Amino acid sequence: MNHFNSFRTFDSLGITRRQLIAGAGLGAGALALGANPAGAVLRLDITQGNPQPMPIALPDFLPGTPGEAEIAHNVTGVITNNLQRSGLFAPINPQAFVEKITNTDAVPRFADWRVINAQALVTGRMTRQGDGRLKAEFRLWDVYAGQQLDGKQYFTTPDNWRRIAHIISDAIYERLTGEKGYFDSRIVFVDETGPKERRVKRLAIMDQDGAGVRYLTRGDDLVLTPRFNPSTQEITYMSYGQGDPRVYLLNIETGQRETVGNFPGMTFAPRFSPDGQRVIMSLQQGGNANLFVMDLRSKQTTRLTDTPAIDTAPCYSPDGTRICFESDRGGTQQIYVMPATGGQAQRISFGEGHHSTPVWSPRGDYIAFTGQAQGMFSIGILKPDGSGERILTQGFHNEGPTFAPNGRVIMFFRDIGAGPNLFTIDVTGRNELKEPTPSFASDPAWSPLLS
Amino acid sequence: MEMKTASVISAGLHAAVLVWAMVSFSGKTLEAMPTDSLPVDMISEKDFTQLTKGSKDAPKSAVTKPLVEKVADTQKVVEDTKPKVSDKPEIKATAEKPPEPPPTPEAKPIEKKADSKPPAPEKPPQQMAQAKADPIADKIKKEEKQEAKAESKPLPPKKPPQKKEPQFDARKIAALLDQRDPQRNATLGAELNPNASLGSVKGEAAQLSQSEFDALLARLRQCWNPPVGATNSDNLFVVFRVLFKRDGSVMQTPVLVQAPPSQFGPALAESAKRALLQCQPYTMLKPEHYEEWRDMEIKFDPREMLGG
Repeated sequence: MNHFNSFRTFDSLGITRRQLIAGAGLGAGALALGANPAGAVLRLDITQGNPQPMPIALPDFLPGTPGEAEIAHNVTGVITNNLQRSGLFAPINPQAFVEKITNTDAVPRFADWRVINAQALVTGRMTRQGDGRLKAEFRLWDVYAGQQLDGKQYFTTPDNWRRIAHIISDAIYERLTGEKGYFDSRIVFVDETGPKERRVKRLAIMDQDGAGVRYLTRGDDLVLTPRFNPSTQEITYMSYGQGDPRVYLLNIETGQRETVGNFPGMTFAPRFSPDGQRVIMSLQQGGNANLFVMDLRSKQTTRLTDTPAIDTAPCYSPDGTRICFESDRGGTQQIYVMPATGGQAQRISFGEGHHSTPVWSPRGDYIAFTGQAQGMFSIGILKPDGSGERILTQGFHNEGPTFAPNGRVIMFFRDIGAGPNLFTIDVTGRNELKEPTPSFASDPAWSPLLS
Repeated sequence: MEMKTASVISAGLHAAVLVWAMVSFSGKTLEAMPTDSLPVDMISEKDFTQLTKGSKDAPKSAVTKPLVEKVADTQKVVEDTKPKVSDKPEIKATAEKPPEPPPTPEAKPIEKKADSKPPAPEKPPQQMAQAKADPIADKIKKEEKQEAKAESKPLPPKKPPQKKEPQFDARKIAALLDQRDPQRNATLGAELNPNASLGSVKGEAAQLSQSEFDALLARLRQCWNPPVGATNSDNLFVVFRVLFKRDGSVMQTPVLVQAPPSQFGPALAESAKRALLQCQPYTMLKPEHYEEWRDMEIKFDPREMLGG
């Protein structure tokens, strides 16, 4: 009967079982109250920011081998220029730098860069390899977080240093903004020289920053509206020789030129479909113009529209399922969207004035156009469903928009008297810049990314 | 009782207690702090336009006094509007002007626009001359003059341009300027504004004063440089958990709590982290309230910048 002893012990202390349990219950309760409840965390909502170009520090790339000092300096110059012209970055003057980078593999002294308010830092090195190739490497640092964001290495031939600089600029742009870059691309345009009455127009191609201009035609014939093939290095353009305008297909790499066809009365060169296999164009018959699609290999043409109106300047959407074009079937030139195989066209531009030369952004989110209202020409954008129409720039002449490969920058040309010049503007309407060209220039076409 | 029976009963009772314990005891569920909710009224556009449109034959409401943060001290008001004028002779010269007959101010505005300037500097000196500083009487007089001006405009300009418009003297501008010291005051008025300017009815938020909160918000807003691509897309936001030290600096790298599955996610998160790290120390947060602001979840949402 030992197990009864314990109860008797409690009884002898004068504490009944009830009192014991009650006491235990109270004790537990006190313990529960004493514990801290999970503290509520303060919540803050920031709904607005202060968009500024990001201050970035770009010290000269180091030469891995002594002979590369000049290339390293030039590469840094090209990268700095690219980032500055994009309008999203503000490179800091090198004279303000505190730390001198001597080894790109070592972690920089971030305190020195914070002092000059740099938010990002790029260090790099160019080394010539034993086999003659050039090794380019860079590191992108986040100064305030004190860590490396990106680092890459490239091998190429020494005379390709410009492309390396553009590729590095793209990598930096993409890491810091989240969008794909557009620096490794080219512009094809019509270079105009000579007096106004006898302008010599030649097709020319250059890097998007204005370097490396190369002429593709000799200037005997009038050339107009070059267009890039989105998948290969080919362009179409119109040439007015002695007779009717002809459309040519020119391969930039090989220089090979072939005639697409003889099209009387055409005003714009054809545009490529996204897969590069077909071109879409407008052909004039009598007083009206209609849209046709031609397969480049078989040269077979299909009619898309059949209206007693002028349908022209067609352009494919980036996924190839729809086209946008300009038509005056409603009385004035407006933008219409239609399935790529033909069908019902729907008007999308309802703003003030005329809308012409529509171009679909490679991102698919905007269509740029030339607007005409109240005697002024403007470049504007609108969404493919017709909403969000916005004018980016306005003046006495603006024409011919073309999108950069990432859909953030638009290039167009403007002629205010002496001659036309190329300009770029950001899709938000900011940062309008003149594009450097050797002489007057018009009809720009932006290539897709080269890499 | 026999030992065996007793053991069996005892074991059975123990087992019963254990089973009952397993079944009935439950852990205390974690309760979330009740969040403040703001009462929101959804109205259709039709209703909204009706509301703002009103109706033409509604009774005119009395002019409401502005609701202010601080009730005005009437004596103080009178004192404040007594401007200190340094140019004494100016006042004496124009002291005769007040009992002017109305036609004279009428005649003057008939002149070409160039002469509209002299009546204007004339009015303030006249006001000042009445050193009784009855602002309301002044206002009434001004209104009368303005009415007179409006009435006289249709009059034919054939009336002979009457005499002496006082020459507009640029030097006398000093007399017209407000000589009071620059100061910041809460808007004074008659009635206190019953609505709180921020916050909800329940007011269960931390004890941080509104001004500290606002100052921190303003600072972060100014420091944050969101990537342009993120401001063009919808529904992108990042949430960071930040721990602060007592002096307002950040204790360690802010921890990312939530980020969108978008190509702009990393860039947006980095821009927010950069803003937090770059703009420390946050000295506007008072050390007395350290327990309230030492641990924060900050959401960076560029939704108000869309399309920018």
